[in-house]
Amino acid sequence: MLITGTPAQIVASRGATDLEDAFIRYLKEAEAARGAAPKAAEEAFGAPMQTAGPAAGEEASPIFSFRRLFAYSIREALELRRDPIRLAFAVIGTTFLMLIFGFGITTDVDNLSWRVLDRDNSPESRAFLAELRGSPYFTEKAPLKDAEEQRRALKDGSVNATIEIPPGFGRGLKAGRRPEIGAWVDGAMPFRAATMRDYLTGVYQSYLRDPVLNIAPQEKRRAHVEVRFRYNQSFDSIYAQVPGTMALELALIPAILMALAVVREKELGTITNLYVTPVTRLEFLAGKQLPYIALAFWNFLLMALMAWLVFRVPMKGSFLMLAAGALVFVSATTGYGMFISSFTRTQIAALFGTAILTVLPATQFSGMMVPVSSLRGFPAFMGHIFPMTYFVPICVGTYTKGLGFADLIGRLGWLSLFVPALLLLSLLFLRKQER
Amino acid sequence: MQALSNIYWLGVKELRSFLRDYVLLGLVFYAFSLAVTAQSQSVSQEVRNASIAIVDEDRSALSRQIASGFLPPYFNKPQYIEERDIDRLMNLGRFTFVIDIPPYFERDVRAGRTPTLQLLVDATAMVQAGLGSGYASQIVNDEIDRFISRSEPVPKLPVNLAIRVAFNPNVTTGWFTSVMGIINNITMLAIILAGAAVVREREHGTMDHLLVMPLTPFEIALAKVWANGLIIAVAAGLSLEFVVQGLLRIPINGSVPLFMLGVCLYLFFATSIGIFLATVARTMPQLGLLYMLVAMPMNILSGSNTPLDSQPAWLRTVMQVSPSTHFVSFAQAILYRGAGFYEVWPRFLAVALIASLFLALAVLRFRRVTEQAT
Repeated sequence: MLITGTPAQIVASRGATDLEDAFIRYLKEAEAARGAAPKAAEEAFGAPMQTAGPAAGEEASPIFSFRRLFAYSIREALELRRDPIRLAFAVIGTTFLMLIFGFGITTDVDNLSWRVLDRDNSPESRAFLAELRGSPYFTEKAPLKDAEEQRRALKDGSVNATIEIPPGFGRGLKAGRRPEIGAWVDGAMPFRAATMRDYLTGVYQSYLRDPVLNIAPQEKRRAHVEVRFRYNQSFDSIYAQVPGTMALELALIPAILMALAVVREKELGTITNLYVTPVTRLEFLAGKQLPYIALAFWNFLLMALMAWLVFRVPMKGSFLMLAAGALVFVSATTGYGMFISSFTRTQIAALFGTAILTVLPATQFSGMMVPVSSLRGFPAFMGHIFPMTYFVPICVGTYTKGLGFADLIGRLGWLSLFVPALLLLSLLFLRKQER
Repeated sequence: MQALSNIYWLGVKELRSFLRDYVLLGLVFYAFSLAVTAQSQSVSQEVRNASIAIVDEDRSALSRQIASGFLPPYFNKPQYIEERDIDRLMNLGRFTFVIDIPPYFERDVRAGRTPTLQLLVDATAMVQAGLGSGYASQIVNDEIDRFISRSEPVPKLPVNLAIRVAFNPNVTTGWFTSVMGIINNITMLAIILAGAAVVREREHGTMDHLLVMPLTPFEIALAKVWANGLIIAVAAGLSLEFVVQGLLRIPINGSVPLFMLGVCLYLFFATSIGIFLATVARTMPQLGLLYMLVAMPMNILSGSNTPLDSQPAWLRTVMQVSPSTHFVSFAQAILYRGAGFYEVWPRFLAVALIASLFLALAVLRFRRVTEQAT
């Protein structure tokens, strides 16, 4: 096919007098292009196509040639550049996801709702409720009518906690019968339940000091435990979450793009270029990797800008260290995608495989949510063989702990081992010849 | 009638091509078995094996007693370090907690001088730091009390507060993360499988083959919805039955059939969004990026990882439009809290409404795109 369009357009596009003339011009152009194509290919692949074997000589070694490697880089970069949708998504997507995750992934526990079943309604029971209402973490919802409603409210999840005060609570308290306030917290999300338990204990302790109870002042504490939250005095999860999000995105997006870039050639058949031209597997893989490293690093810079301007997370340590870490990290994550691509044959498998093999270790076992030092068994193993585990300390370290090169060089060293290791693994699995 | 038969046979074709991709099959198996098992071992929601170090400048019986209070499984055995190493070790993330016991601590406690003991917490490990600092202070106070008042009775308080954790009394993480792992898999896999099934046909040109046959775009789209939905529903059901309940012995409080009904409703939505995205994307890499833009937020912000209530108000409102939020909500209600149909039907309705809207939209766009192609 030479051209599609309405006859009038075709005529106009080549400035021809009529349709026939236009087609002749098109044919001539196509002829010229066909002649040029092999020449372009020869230049690109460094070895003339007609001559077989290494006799062609020049500087193109049969084992490794930078020219062939860069030819693949240029080819891949061109494909990226001519796919504006992919390019735009890669850039806008990063920004969008960073916004959503930065604000949305939060481990702060607040906005908790509670309802009360006060069967006593004495000054003593009201004093406890007043204490609870004063807590910044809890908001009250309409009181409960009976035990059945209490059970249901917890079940459908419309409330996080319920409080039950038994009848005769106030009288029993005065008579020294040690009455009990019952609290139920929703345990569906474990850490939230545990935090609610802490909050309620705090409320209870300040209730004990309430004058209505008329208890002799608590015996003096024997020692003070002074808790100091280091690196993040306000204990606001955004300072941990924004660096974590950066690491997560740099783990995921470059890996998926890289995996698809390789498997795509297999599925669409253009991998034949690897089979039949002098290009080696190393040149093919590394050549394809370079543009994605560049794209991912550009994404990193964008996210660093957002961390600074949008989230106002200050950079306390060395930005150069972070940038160096990010460059090595994206080389490793593109390598991870490359490794997955080497044993998958279809793009579906590559897409799903990269997603499933990245998201789980990235969110659970790489230190983003829980310190790696607390992992045991299989999760610990997965954490240790996943590159993000070595980048999270660099990211969090430079942002919130104020660390520099001297502190983090060890992590960077471990991280950089992933780059050649993953490339080597991919080489082992990728075939130069179709079976 | 003919249409139904077409939809059926097209779906069978879809199943065959899925079953023939062994790597994909293996990955799905991994996602619903080994990955779920790994997630059940997660400790991300509790204080477990927290690393702790002690700087003992007192070296007294009391300081040893405090150290002995930190026990597994909550804390690792405390390591003794020197004061000058605190910064370095905390910077490296070796220890989340460091207790600094000052000199003459025991003497001051006995003399009633109320000395101060420092508990340093690495506040970049949010969940563990938040819960663990409370536990650690409690342990220190308890140990001091026990040490000093071996003979004195503990004064009784006039009122008690009994806090019970409903549905998960031991507050274990695996109970939460294993089931949520299945939930996240469902969204992820549904969008990828259905979307990729369409994009692949477009890339290979077999879509044109289908279109020149006596088939309507509606039939083609619906076949992809049911076939891919079925694969995922079966995988999720098996995983819940054999991996979660069988292998991991995690108790499920509610009705599994009711949950599976909800899964099927939700799959209509998730697969249609996959098809919708596939009409926007022309190539698989584009689909991959779109998938991340749409599915990752749907998963991560749905309440299956971190609490919805703590998100900013605007984001919470936006997330109400996403069926994944309702899906996670009714899944938690049914599986964790043992809720019945009466408690969850509004969520079912929300999912069904949004799902039918998206299915219509997907089929409409699918028809437009395929008509353009011919």
